Amino acid sequence: MRIVDTKGHLCPAPLIAAKKALKETAGGESFILLTDNQTSFDNLGRFLKDNKADFQVSESESIWTLTITKTIGEVALTNPEDYCAPSISHFEKGNYVVVISSDKMGEGDEELGHLLMANFIKALKDLDELPSKMVFYNNGVKLVTTSSPVIEHLKDLEKMGVEVLLCATCVNHYSLASSVGAGTVSNMFTIAEAMASAGNIVKP
Amino acid sequence: MVESGGCSAKISPKQLEEILKYLPLPKDPNILVDIDTHDDAGVYKVNDDLALVLTTDFFPPVCSDPYEFGQIAAANSISDVYAMGGDPVLALNIMMFQAAKLPMEAYAEILKGGFDKATEAGVRIIGGHTLDDYPPKYGLAVVGYIHPGKIITNAGVIPGDSLILTKPIGTGVILAGHRLGMVSDDNLAEAKRLMKLLNKTGAEVMKRYNIRGATDITGFGLAGHTLKMAKASKVSLIINMKEVPLIGNSYQLIDDGCIPGASFRNLDYAEKDIDFASDLDYNLKMIAFDAQTSGGLLFSAPSDKVNKIVEDLRSAGLSDSKVIGYATEPKEKCIYLNN
Repeated sequence: MRIVDTKGHLCPAPLIAAKKALKETAGGESFILLTDNQTSFDNLGRFLKDNKADFQVSESESIWTLTITKTIGEVALTNPEDYCAPSISHFEKGNYVVVISSDKMGEGDEELGHLLMANFIKALKDLDELPSKMVFYNNGVKLVTTSSPVIEHLKDLEKMGVEVLLCATCVNHYSLASSVGAGTVSNMFTIAEAMASAGNIVKP
Repeated sequence: MVESGGCSAKISPKQLEEILKYLPLPKDPNILVDIDTHDDAGVYKVNDDLALVLTTDFFPPVCSDPYEFGQIAAANSISDVYAMGGDPVLALNIMMFQAAKLPMEAYAEILKGGFDKATEAGVRIIGGHTLDDYPPKYGLAVVGYIHPGKIITNAGVIPGDSLILTKPIGTGVILAGHRLGMVSDDNLAEAKRLMKLLNKTGAEVMKRYNIRGATDITGFGLAGHTLKMAKASKVSLIINMKEVPLIGNSYQLIDDGCIPGASFRNLDYAEKDIDFASDLDYNLKMIAFDAQTSGGLLFSAPSDKVNKIVEDLRSAGLSDSKVIGYATEPKEKCIYLNN
């Protein structure tokens, strides 16, 4: 894979390198970008998100390795229906983050666990204060696929303004990249940041 | 000479707001404008006919020529007085310069640039202070006169007013692109010309039309300063980004990814209060947050007078002056950024 090394360069040089590589990369193809600057890394994250490029990150010894994939057009990512559906606004959001690491709620009978989790997610919509964010990792990401029984509830929560973050490593591990039905596939840095800055973590 | 980002060297607006929360505001009926509304300068009433406008600003070099840097820094420092509708009168030099590292001629050239620009503005520099520090930084602390009844603040915008911008934006992008060899000499020269240009002419037109709401566009970018204005005036402001004049190839630079770090800082501070139109061009969005050095005036004017005002600005030499948006009653968001 092509490697774009921006180590030792400050903003905006890494962004320029990323944009140039994106232009030269075919849809669906990936490249690797290296940076050793925290601010450049943060800015790259926002920039890539706004430029509709997917990316995964690993960090070691203060060097961030971003594996950036150019998405194929915009069609692959968006469902026209989502744009037509009226967004539901004016919901109070609390200073808490819901973390879902499993597709089941509690220990015990498997079938019961699935049912409880579905009820929990449905119940979130009725709370006086919605979570500010929902984070899904490990088995939790299976709840956010198009065939999940709670996908409509999750889409509703997103429309109500709840940010839904999925662990990219987990999505890839379970080969779910093509069946993600809601939320933003995100890196561990963003997930850690969301959890670290939350007033409370709610884990069913 | 070492170059950096001019007004982009500002502390993040988010951090500044956090710090200012802990600073008690002095209580005095003669203080007419203080930091409460995040205005451009403070105003203190001396008597019923006279108030003083006080402001200061200094930053590291934006260009390699020390004389030009001095001119730009001085124009930028004095600008806040113009934005309040005042007449700048006196100033002190503020300088940081490491003589062991840099030639003394550069020191003299910076001061000369500042002196010449101050003289052009009718300002007398009557002193100053220098610290031994690297990289160099320069600016002025400026005092201006104003009539207490004729102060133009960022709180004076009325719903229905149109918004006029007197200089094109993009100095942050051009300076960053220049350091990476992406900017032609022509475009750099145009950016420098604009940074050296005093906001004096713009202020004269404002005063002629009894304008009440204005600010100047500097480190927090067009969107950041517009936001402070919207909050202080308790209105919502609609900005049509396609109407905003841009310097040289700054649009192309942003499209190539040349987005200075300060733009992300400004975005981070302001985005929660801004509605971004769903079809807003990403490059136009990011240039709205570009930190300007010695940027133009942004002021509000009654819609029936705007054409005449823009005409006056243009014939006074501010040829890029343009209506870029308007004010409405407060809506859900403070700022609406459209294409």
